[in-house]
Amino acid sequence: MLWFFFGAPESAGYRAYERANALFAQQKFDQSLTAIEEALRLDPKLVPALTLKAKLAMSINRFDVARQSLEQALAADPKAQYAQFLYGLEAYLTNDMQAALPRFRKAVQLNRSDARATLYLGLTTESLGEAAEALKLYEEAVRLEKLAGRPQAETLLPGGRLLLLLGRLDDSERWLQQALALAPQTRDPHFEMARLLLRKGEAERSAAEAETALKLSGGITTDAQVHYLLIRAWQQSGMPERAEQHAEALRALESMKK
Amino acid sequence: MTRVLTGIALALIWVNRIGAGASAPSAPIRFEEVAGKAGLHFTLRNAASGKFHQIELTGGGVAVLDYNGDGCTDIFFTNGAAIPSLSKTGPEFHNRLFRNNCDMTFTDVTEQAGLSGEGYSMAVAVADFDNDGREDIFVTGVKQNTLYRNLGNGRFENITVKAGLAGGDAKYGRMWSVSAGWFDYDNDGWLDLFVSNYVVWDATTEPRCGSPEQQFYCHPSVYQGLPGQLFHNNRDGTFTDVSRSSGIAGHIGKGMGVAFADMDGDGLTDIFVANDSVRSFLFHNLGGGQFKEVGLEAGVALREDGYAIAGMGGDFRDFDNDGKPDLIISGILNDSFQLFRNPGGGHPFEDFGQRAGLLMATRQFTGWSLGMYDFDNDGWKDIFFGLSHLAELDRYLGRPSALPNHIFRNVDGKRFEDISATAGSDFQQAAMHRGVAFADFDNDGRMDAVVSVLNGPAKLFHNVSANSSHWLGIRLHGRQSNREGLGATVHVHLPDGRDLYNHATTAVGYASSSEAIVRFGLGASKTAETLEIHWPGGVAQTLSGVRGDRIVDVTEGLPK
Repeated sequence: MLWFFFGAPESAGYRAYERANALFAQQKFDQSLTAIEEALRLDPKLVPALTLKAKLAMSINRFDVARQSLEQALAADPKAQYAQFLYGLEAYLTNDMQAALPRFRKAVQLNRSDARATLYLGLTTESLGEAAEALKLYEEAVRLEKLAGRPQAETLLPGGRLLLLLGRLDDSERWLQQALALAPQTRDPHFEMARLLLRKGEAERSAAEAETALKLSGGITTDAQVHYLLIRAWQQSGMPERAEQHAEALRALESMKK
Repeated sequence: MTRVLTGIALALIWVNRIGAGASAPSAPIRFEEVAGKAGLHFTLRNAASGKFHQIELTGGGVAVLDYNGDGCTDIFFTNGAAIPSLSKTGPEFHNRLFRNNCDMTFTDVTEQAGLSGEGYSMAVAVADFDNDGREDIFVTGVKQNTLYRNLGNGRFENITVKAGLAGGDAKYGRMWSVSAGWFDYDNDGWLDLFVSNYVVWDATTEPRCGSPEQQFYCHPSVYQGLPGQLFHNNRDGTFTDVSRSSGIAGHIGKGMGVAFADMDGDGLTDIFVANDSVRSFLFHNLGGGQFKEVGLEAGVALREDGYAIAGMGGDFRDFDNDGKPDLIISGILNDSFQLFRNPGGGHPFEDFGQRAGLLMATRQFTGWSLGMYDFDNDGWKDIFFGLSHLAELDRYLGRPSALPNHIFRNVDGKRFEDISATAGSDFQQAAMHRGVAFADFDNDGRMDAVVSVLNGPAKLFHNVSANSSHWLGIRLHGRQSNREGLGATVHVHLPDGRDLYNHATTAVGYASSSEAIVRFGLGASKTAETLEIHWPGGVAQTLSGVRGDRIVDVTEGLPK
């Protein structure tokens, strides 16, 4: 029965979708959108194209368009895991935690190896006040990434932060050390380590770590956050002049925004 | 041998009891909600109609005062108005004054008092600004603030224009004023006025936020912030706007709660402003009518990770009895409320929230007004939080926006325990709580709380904690200082060796005004061995052997 070995006929819009995907990767978003629209004109239920359209819409904060596209994609294929994950992300990014929770849960069920879905389920759970459950999810996300041979600093940081919040400083340090080892040239791990060190009373080491963070980029930590940490770290190190420099820098940042 | 061991054990217990200032164990703090049976019928109306006007989110101030001087504390509520007209189109929007009949019942005397108000009201700040012995009322609102002078015959007169408080800022015009407070910044014996302003808002131009299918309130970042205002009391019933000359107006924030204390013991009252989603301000009073904003350097501007919480209410009071006022600030869901301990000596405040057990415990709360008071009279100030999430947030949370209030007991000045679950069944009831003001309405020595509720009946939490701890209230009568002694610091030394500290202020929490009486829980001590008062005018006064379980009237400079 040879026909078993033939896949479903390729969608009419698939070529256009592939073109759109390549353009998206090159950050040629307008052209990507045109190609997506062509793909969907040819096949309105083409799940990869609908998913890509959602991704593009989210990148420009058009969450309404993203939600519609994802709902169409999931109607066409309820097991489209990536679409399901993005569906959860849409809710998470618009602060609709009630909607995000079941969506991420489903994404995890569809692919239990997806560390990213597990991570975001953890972030949503933490937002809803379930710290212990969130920590378990963060641990699972890290485990999955290690199993896949692709550990990421971004996956370690939420757990590191939560452990710091819970006062589990040694555990937090272990997570943050791993994050630092994976991304030594990225700001976030250095900032979080600086926070931890300040909490442990190691002000000078904290200041050094934060000064490093200030020189780096990458992640979600803003210059203002680092400056604020440095104000306190230098104060506690007995160097008020350096602290004042960072206070002035922070105020200057605010003036620039006005 | 057994006798010796028993003796040693007893001695150790005795030493521990008088040692490090440990408090005597006390009965649980409990409240009964009695607004209905007390005749305190008031509903705070924000005029929400599905159009998500931003002003619907704030407001709800409540004040306690003794407007008729009969020794029983009365209550004043602010209220909203129709939107977009911002007019109080009917009695449902009136501000209201309730006279305490001295039997835990209240009578609505709004009309006779002339206090139904105008405009969309927000906060209330009470004090005797003209030193005539009668408490006056300042009401803030959306582009309309009002000063009412207490005439002493059960009536108030709107003197806003005469007082020079009707105009707006030169640049921003009339502003959306959320909180206000009275304090004497130059120690001239006359109370000055600080107003915190929120954001630039106009009903006709406010943006639409949320998704195309579902509108929602905007994040404050969408709006331009505003400066606070400082008005100097000219001693003749008028005020001068000194916002610019003082340095206050140079700082644009999104002002919510206001609190005052002398943070560095230099005899000058400083100002804390909780800002919403931008860093909070701490204005250090330099003297000479000048203020310097030092929130960053003092370590109270932001959360520990550098994030600006949605600051709502604040209290600036000494929680660990070391003589230095500390700061507690409420925020929104996932912010965690902030507790900053003041170590003194010019050192920055310590972020104490985690150590105190408040950080995780408050993470799921959205708080509005609050207050640090000793509800069980054990000598340690506890914290009462008025809570509710933002209106309409339930659809995003999957659980109600209404929350029960929470009360945290201060354990020996080291940490706080959430004891809300044992505070009585009335205390478990969720609602959209907003303003809270604190007073002892039945003069039984236990602090009560009155709470406004958004689109719901106000609550009166009567403190029914069953404990035998002693207490002391000090009603100050200034002569060189302002009449109510606001700004005076009071230090009580107890026979058991403990030292307690407090100061006189009515600016507590969010948009609300509490009593001017300075309160102490004395624990097992029936007397205060010494009572030391530092008046704002500089006079220091010490009384000895002050019997507790009463309110003591102390006049500046006169022996008791």
